[in-house]
Amino acid sequence: MTAPIETTGAAARTQPEAVLKGVEGKRIEGRSLGRIALLRFRRDKVAVAGAIVVILLIAVAALSRPLQALLGLDPDSPNQSLIDPNTTLPKGDLGGMSGDHPLGVDPKFGRDLLARVLEGSWVSLIVAFGATVLSVAIGTVMGVIAGFYRGRVDAVISRLMDVFLAFPLLLFAIAISASLQGGAFGLTGLPLHLSVLIFVIGFFNWPYMGRIVRAQTLSLREREFVDAARGMGARGPFILFRELLPNLVGPIVVYSTLLIPSNILFEAALSFLGVGIQPPQASWGGMLNQAVKYYEVDPQYMLVPGLAIFVTVLAFNLLGDGLRDALDPRGGR
Amino acid sequence: MRRSVPVAAIAAITSAGLLAGCTGGAGSTASGKANAATEGIVNASDAKGGTVTYAMSDAPESFDPGNTYYAFVYNFSRLYARSLTTFKPGPGPKGNEIVPDLAESKGKSSDGGKTWTYKLRKGVKYDDGTDVTSQDVKYAVERSNFARDTLSLGPNYFQQFLKDNDGGGYKGPYKDKSKAGLKSIETPDDHTIVFHLKKALAEFDQLVSAPQTAPVPQAKDKGADYTRSVVSSGSYKFQDYQEGKQLTLVRNPHWSAKTDPLRKQLPDKIVLKLKVAQSTIDKDLLAGNTTVDLAGKGVDAQTQAQLLTDAKEKGNTDNALGQRLNYLSIDTKVKPFDKLACRQAVEYAVDKKAVQTSLGGPIRGDIASTVLPTDIPGYEKFDLYPQKYSGDNLDLTEAKKKWTECGAGNVSTTILARSDRQEEVDAATSVISSLKKLGITAKIQQYPSSKYFSDYAGVPTFNKKNNVGLIMMQWGADFPTGYGYLQQILNGKAISSSGNVNLSETDDPEINKLLDSAVADPDKAGREKAYAEIDKKAMSQALMVPLTYFKVLNYRSPKATNMVATSAYSGQYDYLNIGVKK
Amino acid sequence: MFSYLIRRVISAVILLLIVSAVTFGIFFLLPKIAGQTTDQLAQQYIGKSPTPADIAAVKRNLGLDKPVYEQYWEFLKGIFTGVDYKFGPEAARCHVPCFGYSFKTHIEVWPEIQSRLPVTLSLALGAAVVWLVSGITTGVISALRPGSLFDRLSMGVALAGVSLPMFFTGAIALALFTYQWPIFERSDYVPLFDNPLLWARTLVLPWVTLAFLYSALYARLTRAGMLETLSEDYIRTARAKGLGERTVVVRHGLRAALTPLITVFGMDLGLLLGGALITEQVFSLQGVGAFAVQAITANDLPNILGVTLLAAFFIVLCNLVVDVLYAAVDPRVRLS
Repeated sequence: MTAPIETTGAAARTQPEAVLKGVEGKRIEGRSLGRIALLRFRRDKVAVAGAIVVILLIAVAALSRPLQALLGLDPDSPNQSLIDPNTTLPKGDLGGMSGDHPLGVDPKFGRDLLARVLEGSWVSLIVAFGATVLSVAIGTVMGVIAGFYRGRVDAVISRLMDVFLAFPLLLFAIAISASLQGGAFGLTGLPLHLSVLIFVIGFFNWPYMGRIVRAQTLSLREREFVDAARGMGARGPFILFRELLPNLVGPIVVYSTLLIPSNILFEAALSFLGVGIQPPQASWGGMLNQAVKYYEVDPQYMLVPGLAIFVTVLAFNLLGDGLRDALDPRGGR
Repeated sequence: MRRSVPVAAIAAITSAGLLAGCTGGAGSTASGKANAATEGIVNASDAKGGTVTYAMSDAPESFDPGNTYYAFVYNFSRLYARSLTTFKPGPGPKGNEIVPDLAESKGKSSDGGKTWTYKLRKGVKYDDGTDVTSQDVKYAVERSNFARDTLSLGPNYFQQFLKDNDGGGYKGPYKDKSKAGLKSIETPDDHTIVFHLKKALAEFDQLVSAPQTAPVPQAKDKGADYTRSVVSSGSYKFQDYQEGKQLTLVRNPHWSAKTDPLRKQLPDKIVLKLKVAQSTIDKDLLAGNTTVDLAGKGVDAQTQAQLLTDAKEKGNTDNALGQRLNYLSIDTKVKPFDKLACRQAVEYAVDKKAVQTSLGGPIRGDIASTVLPTDIPGYEKFDLYPQKYSGDNLDLTEAKKKWTECGAGNVSTTILARSDRQEEVDAATSVISSLKKLGITAKIQQYPSSKYFSDYAGVPTFNKKNNVGLIMMQWGADFPTGYGYLQQILNGKAISSSGNVNLSETDDPEINKLLDSAVADPDKAGREKAYAEIDKKAMSQALMVPLTYFKVLNYRSPKATNMVATSAYSGQYDYLNIGVKK
Repeated sequence: MFSYLIRRVISAVILLLIVSAVTFGIFFLLPKIAGQTTDQLAQQYIGKSPTPADIAAVKRNLGLDKPVYEQYWEFLKGIFTGVDYKFGPEAARCHVPCFGYSFKTHIEVWPEIQSRLPVTLSLALGAAVVWLVSGITTGVISALRPGSLFDRLSMGVALAGVSLPMFFTGAIALALFTYQWPIFERSDYVPLFDNPLLWARTLVLPWVTLAFLYSALYARLTRAGMLETLSEDYIRTARAKGLGERTVVVRHGLRAALTPLITVFGMDLGLLLGGALITEQVFSLQGVGAFAVQAITANDLPNILGVTLLAAFFIVLCNLVVDVLYAAVDPRVRLS
């Protein structure tokens, strides 16, 4: 899965150049794979753009609350004067856009959409990151164990992954989040919704990661450097941690980066379906849920959260693609 | 509270909006006037023939008159099921008038209102030509109220009011096959039925207007499956029922106008289309292909905006009262709302204008100040906590004064709302920002309506444990009298440990006594006076913040005849005699 | 081949059994995690103000008073033998495959699902055709002219396509093509055999919405696969032999490039119910997905279970078909 810009553009020529650069440099000593990858990545303009947007987004999300305070925005404060009580729509054109409210306000309440999109950003990212960390953690541990010990252990773990993959993920996610909406594990409200979302999205997704790591481990353990280590008397855990894991970092990073955007979409879908983040807490999916009801009379509203999701997901996808190409120039799956 | 909204409505899980808009009345010259059907019967006509088409975006779980709790099925079922009494088609509150239907006349009470006797009309037949008997009415009440593990969907007022059998209690006709059945209903002959109540109930005529008293022949009963083959006692009978798709009714050949002064049997055929997308329903309504939206919930926000800006189509809308109240219940057992002044501060502080907008604007309800909705007999206008606005801003002087008196300072509390009712969540959101100005930090907690009363809002211990001071609520009467409306939400004896709807948990001896004496009072005027008094008592104690008197905006097809929006069925059109113009 | 098939079918059945047991267990446990007692659970399925006797009767009727393994066993038995249940004056038969009956309405689950299957299948299969055709065509053309304007443009769109939420594209499609320029009116599902034309017209927007994401994915996959294949030695050999470009691309290149797509397609098709669910919501189609959502909102356990198992069945079935197809194509698989 490679985009044209990367293979036909700079990326296709990077490898020899990277090596050449090494030669030109003061030391002939081989550059680490990571360095080469970084060099390659820096040549991929689209991916770099993706990376910059991602960094910006993370910064915005992390600083969302202070930023709101700084700009004097409040995602929950209503402005009744901006709403026509008969239609409950924002007064004026373009969904109530104005100097005070550059992205307009929402129907019924007149809450500032810029503030709500800002507020929604950290929700989206925290769920996506949380879920990704969860599935990557489980997937890596299971995958490495299965690939390293092989035999019966591998058989059991592989079957377990089959079982997980046979679950209709979205249905499960909806059913579980709907059942636990009220309260569970002593949590209620936003903390509950966040943890439930992270759990349902992350927990059922690990086998994908698991399969990739298992396959990589299986092939790595047959490689010469592992044989060499073994020949020098290294034992299982040492090989596992010193020889295998460092070489797994690449694929794990790439896959995690690609998992984040799909998790963002998943969270948005659940909130859109009404079982994710609950209003009045702003979330992108929740905003879309509200906005599609007005797609004819106030279409601008729908565009705001829709584009926010689009830009974020696109940026992560670009970054992920670029990272993969950089780490594995042969590309493809 | 009779539900006007299907339980399984996918409100939370939204389906996208509605309707392809202002395409005009498809060339028809509708000379309609807005709200005409709330003032009189529009297009009154005796013209027979044609097909009346109903449509609905969902499907009710059952059409069995003894196994339903939806106002629209109550309304619709009268086409094929005759209860002892029913409502006379009339506009708004005039639709509340009770008239005999299967019975010759209203009930005769004796024993101080504890025994009620009805004489059935002679010559009423089922669609198979057999005679309707009083035993069938008795059986219908038994199956609908005493076999709730099988027919679970309806209310159980008869179970609550009728005397139970001695020893052990009556287990319903499916388990108790004894000939006598429930002994508190007697059928001395085929046309007489006598009910013996636990305590006096002057409004029993209202209670028997429920379709649960429509006769069901025991031999034809199939339990929960009876919905597929309901035996008709009304003017139409089941011709074809495809579950979740379509129900077709045709004239009942054994129905006779001689035994029925109410029904006109106008159209040849009545078709009810189920699970039609709401957008299609509205489009078909505007194009004249569908006559009535069965659920009668009104159009959604988007269509509302479009209809109201189209002068011509606006004339074909009815903004009808639905005999229900949106309110914010204040739990008197949860701090700091155990103090009167604290509750009164909330009464002043809730910005009802903003709440009204979040509930859909004035079209979806006028701002309320009483417990009784305006279209329930006994309603008296008063406002103990008048609100002053300067521009869009609510004046909080009075609220702050009361809040200081209350002395709670900055507090936090929890407000409950039903997650699958968007309007309710929106209203709660609005309440939260109102109360913030007083120093009350309210946190919203949402639960699905299927569990709202059984697990959360209706469980007093839950509310206490979770600091739930405020609860969003909508309430409508099962029968349109003050008692039917007030009894469950204000009666101290009605508080239960689960499934409770007396959400303020008020147990006021005066209110309890007034309710008890009112319902036994045979004089209607006396009863209504008592209801107004209860209303004032409840408001003076600030047990709830009335938000809006619920209204719906329905589209009235210009092709339909005998259209009248009645309060008795949540502002829906009365379905008894709707016909079509040729 | 035959013994391989048997082995695969047996393991698929075992997989389904495990999935059903786990699903049952989860849905049995969930109310408990949420802190609900069995009485409260039963109360959800009765009208208002139930007496304790009512609650007890409902619990007994729904089998909620039995231990979980017994409930599961009854459920499993029902699928293969059918169940007689007593809701009313006489026993009624829930026929094979009996997935139980709704707790709320006492209507059998399977016929309800069955009646909605045509909608979801029409939606899913139609969308699959749309995305296979558009995705593969785009991918192949792009791969043949890498770096061309078409390639850049289509791959750009494809990248955007995998980044757009389905419910957003659906809503945009609605706003543009039913409201702004009413090319496709919104209307209800019409069965294929009633009126094929209307059937297709109703489903065009949902198909495109659902297929958009997948076309983008498949275009990218096809393109990558084609590029890799076309650089292989045997393609050079084929060209060197003087074979026409068309033969090289179609007979040699495409076949090799598309084989991996079978796996992906099988998995996607199995999981498609999820995508269909969202599309059905956006376009208010009354399919299995909408049924699932309603069941979940009403907390109607048998309905949720039925639809979940059906979805799992599709996933396992698709995987099985893929495995068997692969084995047919590649004998090495059978032996391992």
